Amino acid sequence: MRNRLSFYIPRQSLIHDLNPLTKLALVFTFIIVAFSSSWYWLPTILFFFGLVPLSFIGKVGKAFLRTTFRLLLPLFIFLFVMQSLFYPGGVTPLLSLWIFSVKLEGVQFAYLTGTRILVMVSSFLVLLLTTHPSTLMSDLTRRGLPGALAYIITSTLQIIPQMQGKANTIIDAQRSRGLDTEGNLFKRAGALLPLVGPLVFGSLVDVEERAIAIEARAFNAPCKKTSLIEISDTGFETALRWFFLLLMLAAIGSRIWLS
Amino acid sequence: MKLIDSIKKDFNTMTLVLIPVAIAINVVIGQIVVLLRLPVYLDSIGTVLVAVLCGPWAGALTGTLSNIIWGLIIDPNAFPWFPVALFIGFVAGWCAIGGLFKSWWKVVITGILIAFTAAIVSTPIAVYLYGGITASGSSFITAFLLQSGRDLVSAVLSTNFLVEPVDKIATALVAFAIIQGLSTRYISRFPRSENAAQEKGKRSTQLIIAIAVAVVLVVIAATVLVTMLG
Amino acid sequence: MAILTINNLTYQYPSSPQPALKDISLTLESGEFLAVIGANGAGKSSLCYTAAGFIPHFFRGELNGQVLIDGVDSSQSNLNELVLHAGLVFQNPFNQISGSKFTVYEEIAFGLENLGIAREEMKARIDEALALTNIADLGKRSPYALSGGQQQRVALASILVMQPKLLVLDEPTSQLDPIGTQEVFQVIRAMTKRGMTILMAEHKIEQVAEFADRVIALDAGEILLEGTPGEVLTSPLLPERGVGISRYTQVARRAQAMGLWSKQTHLPATLAQAVRGFGGADAAQEVNDAA
Ligand SMILES: Nc1ncnc2c1ncn2[C@@H]1O[C@H](COP(=O)(O)OP(=O)(O)OP(=O)(O)O)[C@@H](O)[C@H]1O
Ligand SMILES: [Mg+2]
Repeated sequence: MRNRLSFYIPRQSLIHDLNPLTKLALVFTFIIVAFSSSWYWLPTILFFFGLVPLSFIGKVGKAFLRTTFRLLLPLFIFLFVMQSLFYPGGVTPLLSLWIFSVKLEGVQFAYLTGTRILVMVSSFLVLLLTTHPSTLMSDLTRRGLPGALAYIITSTLQIIPQMQGKANTIIDAQRSRGLDTEGNLFKRAGALLPLVGPLVFGSLVDVEERAIAIEARAFNAPCKKTSLIEISDTGFETALRWFFLLLMLAAIGSRIWLS
Repeated sequence: MKLIDSIKKDFNTMTLVLIPVAIAINVVIGQIVVLLRLPVYLDSIGTVLVAVLCGPWAGALTGTLSNIIWGLIIDPNAFPWFPVALFIGFVAGWCAIGGLFKSWWKVVITGILIAFTAAIVSTPIAVYLYGGITASGSSFITAFLLQSGRDLVSAVLSTNFLVEPVDKIATALVAFAIIQGLSTRYISRFPRSENAAQEKGKRSTQLIIAIAVAVVLVVIAATVLVTMLG
Repeated sequence: MAILTINNLTYQYPSSPQPALKDISLTLESGEFLAVIGANGAGKSSLCYTAAGFIPHFFRGELNGQVLIDGVDSSQSNLNELVLHAGLVFQNPFNQISGSKFTVYEEIAFGLENLGIAREEMKARIDEALALTNIADLGKRSPYALSGGQQQRVALASILVMQPKLLVLDEPTSQLDPIGTQEVFQVIRAMTKRGMTILMAEHKIEQVAEFADRVIALDAGEILLEGTPGEVLTSPLLPERGVGISRYTQVARRAQAMGLWSKQTHLPATLAQAVRGFGGADAAQEVNDAA
């Protein structure tokens, strides 16, 4: 298990400096346009001529390509094999192997679905690679996201790697005591309890004290919260966000219009 | 107004601090299950836990955020599935309010109800976003059904109805076992602690039965799966 | 001026058969350092929670009697108000990290953000708290990537930055290693020099003897002894009730039995007192004066 807080890579770049909400708007614009357009090549174009250049402007291009590849390769292989063989609307056989035959429609469908998912995942990656989670949360809180929600999200981001670390320790400890995590199914199912038990109960007991600790720091104070972190935002970016909103509406509108 | 007030009461500080731990439980147990190559997901145990102790709205929020955070730090593919997780938490919460979380066999019913909800909610997502074939192993069943002439929606739906119950009953039982293992004093600090008050029998007995049933269930399911796929 | 006044307090946790605190009365004057000692389960933590408002507001349960925190009647007020007057630091440093901040600097800002303090003032106050707790060099680190002693000082700074009148410390070093313990006590020493009003539950008797102006010994929820450290810490009642005593007191008591420690000299609780006590009549007079 890798323990990691987020995808964020600290760099000095134009994309890093953008306001988080602008980036979020950009992400949704990409996704909505990719999914609502019926033009076959559009998601491909959006990826290669939109997202890839953006990631390089943000100086995270390599990590962007590597992570996209790692996250999506298994899905793509699966998608192509299954859809090209079993797509319900498949009629034009391309080649036949034994009882299976690869159908053109299936391949096309897999390609369109695959590139749409590619846009969805990789546009989020552009945001996540260039935005520190606490910046994103501070900015959204400033704009009215409830403080409790921001608290939940940021503290989850910190608790997960800790718990993964604890899990690794417990797994190693139980293995060295002879717990079988590799054997047959019975053994593996039986191994779940000694791993999960200590982990879960150990982390649940902390809850009460952490509640006391944040209450002691005025977590529920009824006044309006302020933020230590200052996040830049410009009139230009506001205009940009309106533009993205229009694009999204246009994409959805044209979809409804055309169908 | 009454609704909003009752929702607010569910979100006390204990709830807000429990939710991150619950999400981490979802994620980390989900990963341990992958590591152990078990034929289930078990990635909603924390969601059910919150739903029972803090109510359906908190459960729904836990589910939603689990997917969002899974997407933020592990795999953005998780984002579109958030409605499934949302409904798992929501339904589990209402089941608990309805008293279906007080003994192990009632928890099995909760598991079945959660499973049906999950099956229905995930079908349109799988169909419209992924064309029915997702990266999970159960897609083999979908492909098999498609091959035998079913249409897409019914193939995906049937797959889900086959796959979900085992996972969700096991999930509900493990969450139930965890709650039986916590002290009454600890549980009483949460807004919906009355949901977890067991009807009769010792807590430890209920815990052991729940775990045993969950393990047997998973093993049976795995055996069936193995024989089915040859 | 009294910062904390407790009158005839009896408190019972919900779902608990007997009271955790019974008929407690005490006053804590501004600038005073009051230490609370007692065996496990004697009620030290409960008293700390009461002094910080968490009893009855967080733990609920049944409270009788009156608690005035910095002039505010605890039962008539709420926790959001009370935390402005009394700050609480407790045992486990790890669980006191808010969890929602990625650096120590932001972590200390957490309370101020919640109070809606303006950014400039926030920064000034944080810098001051960092300096006071000796962690100015840790500002950019993750609060999770610190030693226990460092984390506990972050917890202290996070409370001090909110500028409470009363600082409540519940065994702040019981989960720390010797180095961490020393680091935290250094900060506490600095705080006493600045005239902070402090209520501290502690089982390390030597530290209590060094810092406290006054000591209360609790036993089964009741005040067993109250007085100066010299009186309370060397009382023969303590070991009877399962409260630890200082090793210097132990040694001196043995020495007394063997005729090596004068019957007229107070028993020592700290090393310095023991040295002076064994050093002869002049030194003993000093010990008596000091005690
Ligand atoms: N949340 C709670 N609910 C019910 N009873 C409690 C609770 N917390 C403490 N008690 C009980 O109240 C009594 C006093 O406990 P308290 O924690 O105040 O003692 P303490 O002196 O701090 O002990 P320790 O040295 O172990 O920290 C004990 O009998 C304990 O079991
Ligand atoms: Mg205590």
